Amino acid sequence: MLNANLINTLSGLLLLTSLLVIETRKPRQSAMLYSFQSLVLVTIFLALAALMGAPQLYLWAASAFITKAILVPLILYRALAKADETITSLNTVSTPISLLLVAVAVVVSYTVVSQIELKSAAVFIPALAISVAHFFFGQLCIVTQRNLFKQILGFCLMENGSHLTLALLAYRAPELIEIGIATDAVFAVIILVLLAGQIYRRLHTLDSAELNVLKG
Amino acid sequence: MASPYLIWLLVVPLVASLLALLAGRLGRLARPVLEVIHMASVTVVLLLAVIVTGQVLIFGDVATLNHWLRADALGGIFIVIVGLLGFLAGLYSIGYTRHDLKIGQLNLSQLGTFYALFHFFFFTMLLTVTSNNIIIMWVAIEATTLSSTFLVGMYGTRPALEAAWKYVVICTVGVAFGLYGTILVYSDAVNVIQETGMASLWDAIVRNAGALDPTLLKLAFVFVLIGFGTKAGIFPMYTWLPDTYSEAPSPVSAMLSGVLVNCSLFVIIRFSIIVNLAIGPEFTQTLFLIFGVLSLGTAVFFMLVQKDINRLLAYSSPENIGLILVALGLGGPIGTLAGLLQLLNHSLVKSQMFFLSGNILMKYRSRSLDVVKGLLQAAPITGVFLLGGVFALVGAPPFNIFLSKFMIISAGIASGHLWLMLVCLLFVMVAFTALFKMLSSVVLGEKPENVAKGETGFTTLAPILILMVLILALGVTMPAPLGALLQGATQVVTTGTSVAPSGGPGLAAHSILPAFGLPQAQQFIGLIGIQSGN
Repeated sequence: MLNANLINTLSGLLLLTSLLVIETRKPRQSAMLYSFQSLVLVTIFLALAALMGAPQLYLWAASAFITKAILVPLILYRALAKADETITSLNTVSTPISLLLVAVAVVVSYTVVSQIELKSAAVFIPALAISVAHFFFGQLCIVTQRNLFKQILGFCLMENGSHLTLALLAYRAPELIEIGIATDAVFAVIILVLLAGQIYRRLHTLDSAELNVLKG
Repeated sequence: MASPYLIWLLVVPLVASLLALLAGRLGRLARPVLEVIHMASVTVVLLLAVIVTGQVLIFGDVATLNHWLRADALGGIFIVIVGLLGFLAGLYSIGYTRHDLKIGQLNLSQLGTFYALFHFFFFTMLLTVTSNNIIIMWVAIEATTLSSTFLVGMYGTRPALEAAWKYVVICTVGVAFGLYGTILVYSDAVNVIQETGMASLWDAIVRNAGALDPTLLKLAFVFVLIGFGTKAGIFPMYTWLPDTYSEAPSPVSAMLSGVLVNCSLFVIIRFSIIVNLAIGPEFTQTLFLIFGVLSLGTAVFFMLVQKDINRLLAYSSPENIGLILVALGLGGPIGTLAGLLQLLNHSLVKSQMFFLSGNILMKYRSRSLDVVKGLLQAAPITGVFLLGGVFALVGAPPFNIFLSKFMIISAGIASGHLWLMLVCLLFVMVAFTALFKMLSSVVLGEKPENVAKGETGFTTLAPILILMVLILALGVTMPAPLGALLQGATQVVTTGTSVAPSGGPGLAAHSILPAFGLPQAQQFIGLIGIQSGN
């Protein structure tokens, strides 16, 4: 049970790091904090692998380390180096409201998850609830942040949440499936970064509120 | 039965995509080389699609790679749609991109990127409809977004980039919900199916559906409907459609509206079969009816106020998807068959309409209803096709959509949903008004002086002509193989099992399309009579 508690606790840490990623005003610092968060996720995968006796989760940990702790933050960091450093994040909701929404997401997720009978993950209900809340938190980031790179980070957070759910519920799936999902996630970030870069070069803005030509 | 053709169906566009990427760097030779690679790929894929579907008709279902790839009659319909419309959009792209090169909207390097992405997009859609692995289905749907993002933003203008950003963000976020639904079904299946590799296979889950947890499945299906519904253009997540369809190059808009939305619907239907077998059809049918009516009822009012032809056509997609959902919500063999037929018919007509709007754009350099006037004067053949296309889209006889809409309404009345059908008809009338307003504005009147007389060329008219022939043909007759395929697909949706649609023991019990000849309206009334009599 110690290990299960460890996983539940580390999941809580995942949520805290998300708050830091969103509330940090400089997008480049957010990218570094995202890397730290991914290390927490890798640690959870390692702990789960040991606890469940699931060697495939070591592979998941290795691929998450390469893609999420190194590759994606590096792509974001380098892309942001070319963009205007003075651009800080613009929130459409204040920090207290963000915190309140996170709390609501956690409570709702816990209520829903605890209703479901999950034989394979009964001891991980808190971690599972947090992973779902984390997913919604990423969505919240996309909706409330106006900076395009912060929106990309929102996608990354969302993806970390669903990756944890996947590890808790579907760790026995064939490796090829995990590779497929991870590849999609990395390519999604690359495409979002390329597109945001193109928007910045052509339209000289990273503010989504200025993308307002198309209406109706 | 094992079929290596399923693998080739995926390999061909993937190889074409890589070759196009390289060919884009060949300088002056790039265009002809790219066009040869492109046409060879779409032609071979169409042939392979026909072969695979033929095998499905004979054997019931075919599979390969440890059942990771599989096609049954339901998959066969979608493979045909992707193969046929991919070929026609491919043919249309030749003339369209030549025009873009001529006016400097694209350069040769961008042309290479266009064809490379076109074929990768094609590959991802084929992977979606041939995958038997529910998680790979999600991977493929997500990949359709990623591969088409730069196709949407190809022109690099402010509205095109804005449309591409909204498209990728909304669809990526939406489809992530689909992943949750998929994980929930898998984690439930893995408790039931001891062999963990099998627990992600759709046909294995269907065989064990009775042992799945009902609560988990209901939750999973809500996630699936929201997630994949985002890409299928279902209420309320269809806001990306008008922006995307109006800014993407016309062949891409045709692929997005005629093929991609169907791929997402395909995944939703696959999951609904699992849920129906586990807990009965009431849950999914209720959701289909609610979201169908909401999609239909909201989209038609947006259609009324549009000033851009593509935005108007874009809102017509949720209108038609809504009708398909209503038909699936009515359920039973007739409702399901009507829904699948509407899905096929809408794909053909909507692709044709986007090709036509592409021709209009080439002629007028605009899609605004304030600019585009006198099409019958400027390009009479395109004008006549537009006339036919709009009549087909609103569901006028003798075009194909008349038949499927008639079936849906009749199925609804026969199953006791008279008021719902009246409401749907009211919404369809609103769409009718919007489309005819557009038609009269575009085809009649005097053409602007700066628009020269003349058509846009063979490769941009041929796909429209082929589609017109199909739309008319399917309005008056049903080829026996297609009828058998639809019948087999209906069986898959209603029972989860597949038999050889060309004549298996299970077929007789569901022989709802005995001849499918003329007069169909009468025949359908008879069929529904049989249905309600049962």
